[in-house]
Amino acid sequence: MTSETILVEQLSKTYQVPEREGGFVAAVKGFFKRKYKDVKAVQEVNFKIEQGEIVGFLGPNGAGKTTTLKMLSGLLHPTEGKAVVLGFTPWELKPDYLRSMTLVMGQRNRLSWDIPAADSYLLAQAIYRLSDDDYKKTYKELDELLELEPLMKKPVRNLSLGERMKVEIAAGLLHRPKVLFLDEPTIGLDISGQVKIREFLREYNKRTGATILLTSHYMADVTALCERIIIIHHGQLKYDGGIANLSRRIAPFKLIGVRLAQSEAEGLEESNGRDLSQYGEPVQNEEDAEKVYIRVKSEDVTKVTSRMLSDLPIHDITIADPPIEDVIERAFNE
Amino acid sequence: MLNIFKRLWQVNWAEQWQYRANLAMYILYWLVSPIIYLSVWTSIATVNGDVKGLTANDFITYYMILLIVDQLTSNIIIHIFGYKVQDGSLSGELIKPIHPMLTNTLVNDIAFKTLNMMLLIPIWIGLALLFKPQFDSVSLSGIALAIPAIMLGYAINFLLSGIITSLAFWTTRVFSIHEFYYALIMLFAGQFVPLKLMPEVIQNIARVLPFQLFMYLPIQMIQGNLSAQEITQGYVTGILWLIAALIGFQIVWRKGVKQYSAVGA
Repeated sequence: MTSETILVEQLSKTYQVPEREGGFVAAVKGFFKRKYKDVKAVQEVNFKIEQGEIVGFLGPNGAGKTTTLKMLSGLLHPTEGKAVVLGFTPWELKPDYLRSMTLVMGQRNRLSWDIPAADSYLLAQAIYRLSDDDYKKTYKELDELLELEPLMKKPVRNLSLGERMKVEIAAGLLHRPKVLFLDEPTIGLDISGQVKIREFLREYNKRTGATILLTSHYMADVTALCERIIIIHHGQLKYDGGIANLSRRIAPFKLIGVRLAQSEAEGLEESNGRDLSQYGEPVQNEEDAEKVYIRVKSEDVTKVTSRMLSDLPIHDITIADPPIEDVIERAFNE
Repeated sequence: MLNIFKRLWQVNWAEQWQYRANLAMYILYWLVSPIIYLSVWTSIATVNGDVKGLTANDFITYYMILLIVDQLTSNIIIHIFGYKVQDGSLSGELIKPIHPMLTNTLVNDIAFKTLNMMLLIPIWIGLALLFKPQFDSVSLSGIALAIPAIMLGYAINFLLSGIITSLAFWTTRVFSIHEFYYALIMLFAGQFVPLKLMPEVIQNIARVLPFQLFMYLPIQMIQGNLSAQEITQGYVTGILWLIAALIGFQIVWRKGVKQYSAVGA
């Protein structure tokens, strides 16, 4: 027995994907002899997660995040390696294991499309053998956090995307799982929806001490929830550690943004076109077209800033950490 | 466990009820072939006086009973389950601590059957008024004898369909394989024609196959046409098939789930 809630050792998954050229001849050939290509989705990944941690699992599309989550929840057999979650080998699909974890993927998973969520919840109560008291208590808590009650009586197909995500997540938590695997829990939601789910997850983690491993494309999810992140790319583990350390280790840079004072004759275009590359590497920033941004090594920031202030007609200047997206992007490309 | 089935029933019944209009269409479609056989055989028997000793009324009662027995022993799990494997929606069920096929799919099928029977009964009464069957040979003891046979037939049919449906874990052609299975039922369960009229060879094959429990044997029991020896033989064969189907299903299911999880759920 290990003390970790999740232990992953040398976990690998290789898919065999049938492959053929287009066209009739190739189709006929493929009928008799199929060619396969090995796709290494996950390669020798190792990590441990302690009870109560919230870990962000990051990587670009196709990095192997979902494959890993599926292996940890038991839906996939790995090609090699081992995983132990709560003392179980997930892919044995032992009922005791299934009762103590949850996997939430997308908005169409646990609930029947045609009937109100309330009915599916009662079914879940029976399937997970929850006593009426336990069920009511958990439901009340979930309702408090997610405001479920108004959504319960409508057929699930009539709920909006955000509403459906809420009832889906809650459906996955009725049995108070000790381990949560969440694949893109906020995908497709508007900002306030994302914030609600985030707050909910943090609160749930605090109340129950559950361990959470989540993937997300919204960096705000990760920065708000996770102290620790695991990055994989091309199926390989790239980084495992604190978010703060990540910027320091991978991108020890700051972003300096300046807006230059303009003479009447000088248009914005021109002022922004001014060559700042002598101070640092120019960076595109689409969100703020008013300013010009340069990337400067952290230790040089003071020096560069004072030089710029004395050299240039500066109207406004900001110094900030690079967005976490950029940092992670750099980590992928390392 | 009982509670699980109760809740499953509520959910699946509510689901099926939403599709009752589709079901009505399905029932009408399904009725066509037995009614054609009924009409064809009845007119032949009327012209000839009888066919190998079976009178027009024998055919009418045979097919009228068949309508109900077939409805009770058949299943639609290929349609419930096959798609779930193909579009991946099975994943959500696999990580629940209950057997997806032997709980949810089973209850869904029974809910479907119940709704079908509700639709069938008025149609059946209409057909009875039209064809005027004489149920003289039908006795209560015959019906009592047939009920366990119908249940046995349903169980075997469900498991065999379950095995074929589980092939969806390996191939996307599972629907055509299942069509072949339907064809075997049509032939060996006595739907085209009461088995008694089949060549001796076919009858002998049918006796060792499970299919006659799906229609022919229960109908014959209800009509009071079987000897004690034939009844015993039918039940023994059925129980052996049930055991074989159970074992076969377990094996195929386990391997299938492993396959599903190997190629990417």
